Amino acid sequence: MTERLAVVALALLTLLSLALAPWAALNRETGARSAVMLLPNRIIDFTTRTTPVEAPGQGVVLLLSVLGVATIVGAGALRDRPRQVLWLGAGATLLVTTAWGLAGFASAVDAQRVLSVRDDVRAAVERPRPAFDVDVLQAIVDDPADLSIEETVARAREGGLIIRRLPYTGAGMGLAAFLTIVTGLFAIVAGARMVRAVNRPLDRALATMAIPAVSIVLALAAAAVVILVMQPTPRASAFEFEGPLIALAGRLDTLWLAYYTMFAESLGTAKGFADALSFATPLIFTGLAVGFGFRAGLFNIGAPGQMVLGAIATMFVGLYMPGPTWLVLPVAVAAAALGGGLWGALPGWLKARFGANEVINTILLNFVAASLLLFMLSSSPTFAAPAVRVIQLIGVVVGVMIVALLVPWLRRQLGRGPRVVLALVGVGVLVGAVFVSQPRPGDAPYVLQLPFKVPGSEPKSYELQETARLPRLPAVFGIDLRQTPGTNIKPVDVALPAALLFGVAALVVANRLRRPAAARARLGVAAGSALVAYGALAALGWRALPVAIPPSNLNPSFVIAIAAAVFVHYFLFRTRFGYELRASGLSPKAAEYGGANLRRNTVMAMAISGALAGLTATHYVLGGALEDYALRQSIPTGDGFDGIAVALLGGNSPVGIVLAAFLFGVLKNGGSLLNITFSNLTRDVVSMILALVVLFIAAKGFLPERLTNPLRRAKALGDLPPEVGDGKPERPPDDAPGGPPGQTPTGAKEERG
Amino acid sequence: METIVLLTLVASALRATTPLLLAALGGLFSERSGVVNIALEGIMLFGALTAALVTYYVELPYVRDAPGTSVWYAPWLGLLAAMAVGALVGGIHAVVSIRYKADQIISAVAINLMAIGVPAVILTGLFGNNTTSGTITNRLPLWSVGPFTFSPLVYLAFALVPIVWFVVFRTPFGLRLRAVGEHPEAADSVGISVTRMRYIGVMLSGVLAALGGAYLSIGAFNQFITEMSGGRGFIALAALIFGKWHPLGVLGATLLFGAFQALETQLGGTALLPPTVVQSLPFILTMIVLAGFVGRSVAPKAIGKPFTKS
Repeated sequence: MTERLAVVALALLTLLSLALAPWAALNRETGARSAVMLLPNRIIDFTTRTTPVEAPGQGVVLLLSVLGVATIVGAGALRDRPRQVLWLGAGATLLVTTAWGLAGFASAVDAQRVLSVRDDVRAAVERPRPAFDVDVLQAIVDDPADLSIEETVARAREGGLIIRRLPYTGAGMGLAAFLTIVTGLFAIVAGARMVRAVNRPLDRALATMAIPAVSIVLALAAAAVVILVMQPTPRASAFEFEGPLIALAGRLDTLWLAYYTMFAESLGTAKGFADALSFATPLIFTGLAVGFGFRAGLFNIGAPGQMVLGAIATMFVGLYMPGPTWLVLPVAVAAAALGGGLWGALPGWLKARFGANEVINTILLNFVAASLLLFMLSSSPTFAAPAVRVIQLIGVVVGVMIVALLVPWLRRQLGRGPRVVLALVGVGVLVGAVFVSQPRPGDAPYVLQLPFKVPGSEPKSYELQETARLPRLPAVFGIDLRQTPGTNIKPVDVALPAALLFGVAALVVANRLRRPAAARARLGVAAGSALVAYGALAALGWRALPVAIPPSNLNPSFVIAIAAAVFVHYFLFRTRFGYELRASGLSPKAAEYGGANLRRNTVMAMAISGALAGLTATHYVLGGALEDYALRQSIPTGDGFDGIAVALLGGNSPVGIVLAAFLFGVLKNGGSLLNITFSNLTRDVVSMILALVVLFIAAKGFLPERLTNPLRRAKALGDLPPEVGDGKPERPPDDAPGGPPGQTPTGAKEERG
Repeated sequence: METIVLLTLVASALRATTPLLLAALGGLFSERSGVVNIALEGIMLFGALTAALVTYYVELPYVRDAPGTSVWYAPWLGLLAAMAVGALVGGIHAVVSIRYKADQIISAVAINLMAIGVPAVILTGLFGNNTTSGTITNRLPLWSVGPFTFSPLVYLAFALVPIVWFVVFRTPFGLRLRAVGEHPEAADSVGISVTRMRYIGVMLSGVLAALGGAYLSIGAFNQFITEMSGGRGFIALAALIFGKWHPLGVLGATLLFGAFQALETQLGGTALLPPTVVQSLPFILTMIVLAGFVGRSVAPKAIGKPFTKS
């Protein structure tokens, strides 16, 4: 029922958009001033200087689109069988029509582009410059054959005329066309319920996707309001609005272009895709860190601090460890994990030992870590002499106390009255501090020169040794961007990764079979199919396929991130300890009764979570994703908070987290393009969307409980006997997608110190 | 000479305490009613932003023509608006965590995340940069007592301590508030509306935290800067725990942290220690406090748990 309403509502929205919203964009100048087209061939020119293009057949496209959408709306009132048939048919019609219409539009634009380029060439012939080969250019003007736009540009280049910017940039799909396609797809999916076998998997997919999908849509819708308020319709100063409909079309196009900018480059170009993966890499790490904590019933808000400590640790290895790459790199990666892990273990230990809440402590440690980083990278920190003496005093006292605690006899004596001892030591330190902090003659400030900090005020370390660097994407394929900037075409062995993927897919399918074979047999099948695929692809010449390598910051850290996701999945769901952690997360008391050591688990879980966050340093320091291969103060620790959004959106499962991180990577990459495209929009819009996603997922997408409560849902799907789940479950279990993360293990009252 | 230094130190400690105290007293209402509120930090930022923007735009028509014009009511309107927005943002936290039974920490984290992104978006639209608002001419006035001059909010914050104590411990309202935080089922059984009390508690905390934020932008300073709260909301939360959810304890805890911040400012000027070292001291101190070295404090029993009426 909900599904039917959703499709009909979407169709109605599409109907409106066909009348009011631009269907295609004709031209987009810098500053996002555009000329757009509404069906059929109604052009609104916000640039005031775009030559209109007449595309054939747009009337037919409009007619068929409206008919198709109207059919979907009308059929919504019918019974299951006829409705599904009509939806399938109408959906297919919409897809085909829109694709055909867009193709026609594109070729019309291309034809106009050719004419426009020819005009340029003609002008060049009339006023030749020494670089031009006039004969070649004249041939283009005279050529009666219809050259394609690519050929025209290529031949102009032969003639010495380089066309830098094609006319009609950014021509392409508009909001109305997009909505029509989406409606078509939804109608087809809903109509596919005709085939009975589709029902169950579809229900399952909808149940899993409902909260994240609704939350994303709601967040994008809320952001739409902000975009509309902040960004007036970009237009040439000479443009004047005639009537509210044109103004409305302009608003809708602004909105469309904003979202198009956020998604299109990442999903449509190799460079954008690589950049999105590059943005996603640290988010995978932090998402795993937070998600892992959730599974164990811990809320790790300390990923930013753990990132910093991981980066500091890896910087030391990368700067100072001698040896060959195969030794230094793994140690550097391990150091990143260790640094983050120790920083994460600290609040874990505080919780296990003293019952101090990990949420507050991880937050506080973020600030401490930020101060530490600033201290290490600020230009020559200065201590006054009395302060140095106080620090020395505290150091000596702490040293003596550690030694005292190591001597068993003393330790026993001190243990009799720990509070008295602490108080005495505290008072002693205070008195001593007052004494030594008195100024003395000959006091000179002590200037600390940190050996790893570059001289000057720039807050960064020296660059890492060559042996500790992860190569960026172009360098992986032996391309030196300083010599050949831009995209380079190289033969790449595509067969191996493709075959591996095929093997993994085969393994997944084998695991999902109703009666799975023995583990060894399944692995054998997977390996065999991978081998066969490799052979077949090699025969097709995929072992050296010419691939355009985009200049991106993507680096092998991405592979480490995927490996970390695989590790977390294996650890949580295939090991005893992982099982214990999840049990502790779901019900600490039951887990403890079952023999779990809650204290040890808390420390270990926080350490692993911190280690995952610390591994972001492989991207930002070892991978040189910031400007160079150095530790910089600008390391974006906000990724640690974004990890919370990623973990929630991914339902705390490693696969979900990787997918969510990719989505956010796309958004972040798109966000940086927003700055370039629009005058009033910045990447902050994206950070706002992320925050809203967290809020909406927390509120379970504002969906009714019958859709979000896993027990009631499972019953509705027929997975549970009807008598189960009639009561009121206090909290849904943890692995509910997007459900609340684990409750903090012991009751809140014990853990607040 | 020594006394003057000491007096300045005391005065700046009181000033540094004010936003912490306001936010912590706000948090007290929320947490006593059983709703964890880590959103204090975010609400402070929203309050600071609103106060600065409203003050800026109220005085703009006058100041544009004659710079320096006094528009006495501008900051007060800013303050009122900040309180309203505080109630609104607190209300969002309340709706999500009470009505939709969301995990209260996640809901609050979302609000804190929004407090980073949303001001940046708004500032970009209004001022063309994503970090600072325009500077305001009419800050909150300074009222003097003896040798000191303070913003009205300083007096308000300290006056609120006994008031909050009275309200929470000596009025029927306070009794109900504490009842829903300790044992919502029992409170429900005697006819107290648990959700209503919690809504009130969280929204009150929003109002007070926003006042603390407004103090930062139009009391102690003359513009809004992104993330200008600098963790004060979190320190306030820690002070709340440290102060055992009691107004007097909260006063003591925030005074301690305030003194530390004042000391930091004083030390910062003399290059005695690198400012980064001093900056992190309050946070480390808070952690030591939370680890229970200074006595245990017991939270309201039902804190963090959504209430389902049966």
